[in-house]
Amino acid sequence: MKKILLSVLLSAPLWVLGQGFQVNLQGQKQIGMAGAGSALALDEASVFYNPGAVSFLEKNSVSAGVNPLLFKSAFQQTGSNVTENVKNKIAPPFEFYAVWGPKSNKWKLGLGVYTPFGGLVDWGNDWSGRYALTSLNLKAIYFQPTLSIKITDRIGIGAGFVYNHGDVNLQRALPVNFPDGRSGHATLEGTGKGYGWNAGLYIKTLSNISFALVHKSKVVTKLDNGTAEFDVPGSLRSSFPAGNTFNAELPLPSTTSLGIGIPLSQSTTLAFDASWVQWHIYQDLSFDYATNTPALADTKSARNYRDGSSFKLGINHQASEKLALRAGVGYALSPVQDGYVTPEAPDADRYILSAGFGYTPTRHFEVNASFFFEDVKSRKQKNIETGLDGTFKTLVYAPGISLTYKW
Amino acid sequence: MVGEFKMKKYILNSFIAAAILFTAACKPEIETPAGTTAGQANFSKYIAVGNSLTSGYADGGLYLEGQKVAYPNLIAAKMSSVGGGAFTSPFFNEDRLNGSGYISLTALVNGTPTLTPVTDKLAIRDAAKHLDKYSGEIQNLGIPGMRVDLSFDPTLTFSAANPFFERLLTDAQVGKTNYFQYIQGRNHTFFSIWLGNNDVLGYALNGAVTVAGDPTTVLTDKVTFSSLYANLLNALTAGGQKGIVATIPDVTAIPYFNTVKPSLLLAAAKASNPAAQAVFIQTGTGAVRVATDEDLIRLPFQSAGLFGQGTIPYGLHPLNPIANNWVLDKDEVIKVKDYVNSYNSSIKSIATSKGLAIADTYAYFNQVKVGVLVQGIGINAAFISGGAFSLDGIHLTPRGNAVIANVFIDAINAKYGSTIPTVDVTQYRGVKFPDTK
Repeated sequence: MKKILLSVLLSAPLWVLGQGFQVNLQGQKQIGMAGAGSALALDEASVFYNPGAVSFLEKNSVSAGVNPLLFKSAFQQTGSNVTENVKNKIAPPFEFYAVWGPKSNKWKLGLGVYTPFGGLVDWGNDWSGRYALTSLNLKAIYFQPTLSIKITDRIGIGAGFVYNHGDVNLQRALPVNFPDGRSGHATLEGTGKGYGWNAGLYIKTLSNISFALVHKSKVVTKLDNGTAEFDVPGSLRSSFPAGNTFNAELPLPSTTSLGIGIPLSQSTTLAFDASWVQWHIYQDLSFDYATNTPALADTKSARNYRDGSSFKLGINHQASEKLALRAGVGYALSPVQDGYVTPEAPDADRYILSAGFGYTPTRHFEVNASFFFEDVKSRKQKNIETGLDGTFKTLVYAPGISLTYKW
Repeated sequence: MVGEFKMKKYILNSFIAAAILFTAACKPEIETPAGTTAGQANFSKYIAVGNSLTSGYADGGLYLEGQKVAYPNLIAAKMSSVGGGAFTSPFFNEDRLNGSGYISLTALVNGTPTLTPVTDKLAIRDAAKHLDKYSGEIQNLGIPGMRVDLSFDPTLTFSAANPFFERLLTDAQVGKTNYFQYIQGRNHTFFSIWLGNNDVLGYALNGAVTVAGDPTTVLTDKVTFSSLYANLLNALTAGGQKGIVATIPDVTAIPYFNTVKPSLLLAAAKASNPAAQAVFIQTGTGAVRVATDEDLIRLPFQSAGLFGQGTIPYGLHPLNPIANNWVLDKDEVIKVKDYVNSYNSSIKSIATSKGLAIADTYAYFNQVKVGVLVQGIGINAAFISGGAFSLDGIHLTPRGNAVIANVFIDAINAKYGSTIPTVDVTQYRGVKFPDTK
């Protein structure tokens, strides 16, 4: 006689991606320059920044680095005087590169393993936005074998195939209460894979000013048979069957970058990168549950992202034979429109500041360190889908270090 | 080379120093936009005047958990940051926390609820079912069943007849006072009043049938309502106090009248007896006719065990229609709505003339009826699953109280330029679902 319909509980979708999930930490030298450097044949990280520049690297090398990242986000509900903070959790973006080619030949092979997208946000189970999200742990690891060829002494091209291994664990509270008053809880967990490519062109002009044009394709990552676990009171179990699974798609966007490298002197180089991130592919997000009930319908939610962009300016100064100093500034425009900001990626336009140094004790070894800081502007939002209403403010801190062996 | 080494060390040190400095200043800050102020109001002593909604009555009873999350208590807690003082309520004792008793949801099978009375730890002091007395200062003055007309009860007998009122009075006062007298002389600096619901609900909840000798089933005359309400506000503002009044929700916005629908009854009847043709009701005029979904059937009908019973199946035959007192028929709905509108225009015009804030709960509950989305929680007027209404289909859950507290707070802040922080609705529960099938 009275069907209890709970579909509203799950009408809100579970994933969004934003600039906040694009992790711009793929090489310590470039990070020290705010992420600029696609037009510089700096090191093996060119496998990511510009495959076209890889063939211009003088040496063969392997390197590995890590950038422990602290994503500090705060939220204040509209009208409230309470500020809530995410828990301190350190995400570990990392990068590994190898570049090899016969000396004085026109080609080089490269391999990159890096984490261009990811997010680790844990607001806890009691915060005021918990019915939108309690925590997200998203990792995308790209594997990129690459071939780079010097067409002339001044022009290089390169391309790599990208395989993405994605992991996601997303949790939120459900507004149904147990007899002791606590809320229900949903956990979605899955792994997926996707494919793409990364290609670049590197041009060094006669004046030694260099240019780069790089395109990294979109990587639509498919998650099949992820587990959908719902912790609900027993009387609602039939609406949220145990052992349910879901399929979903994670559209990771393409990025087109234009870079310029300007040597100011023998020892000082300026790098500028402008990137256009084609987030518009992220129009909606669909969840397909294996078992549907009146309370648990498949969802298709509007995201309506526009394209994002970033502008980064960096400087590299070779202070001595062994020591290099770097600094950078940048600005990024958010792809997330008003009404679509969420606690997964409390996104807004952001400032970037960075610094770094490199030390080369021997001709084989090199250590590079960087510090990367992002100030994401405060943004007052009412989410259209969840009604979460408040102000987000985020700061990102990422120190990093890498070791390189060259021969 | 020594110089270079020194320089490297210097650079390394400054780099580390900069990194430490950054991380120390690391926490993002959000500035509270308006600061903290009471504006033109003074919240140092707040009193709440009203009925069951104000007392925290829920799930068909008054018990401690509901009392603690009554909307005035939630508001008072938030007032503390803008000069609000202590706020006292006639709480039941912890060891008798189930108060008058209430109903709980003990099973939900295929969407059909089983409601079971809670009968332990009651605060009943004698065989006549009087409730435990409460003495001492009280600022939450909400009394279940209180009405505008009975606030002025000239016989003074309602103070003895209403157990929720009786428990707050000394033996000398019982039968010797009325609510209008009771709420005065409390030296308040700020007040809220949400009263008048029962002046129409008492009538509607009885299927628009006034029982002879039962003043709680009377429909209060519109003009009488207006003049008595003005008297209440005159008394509450006698010392120039500021305050907030609330309008009366549309009775058709509550699950009590929206859950048991003739179309659903007919569908259920057809499932067991395909010959069932229509649901029949007896209207307020005594006529018998086929019911439509414009006729509202009271929530308890679902568990009354009447429907389809008897040799002439109850409610399914014109010779055995659903009795008048179970039904708020179409014309009675129109009548009740008309009274609510009239009361509300009186409330608003008197409040406006006195410069008081108005919490338009009438408008808000009409939104809830359609469905609202608050901080990730979908809230609507559906029974059990809607989240706002407790198991009696009339009174609020803790979540519903939190939502209404914010309607009051927003109206107070808008009127007096104060910055009472809002209540975090997500911290308050909806209906408790049983953990077993």
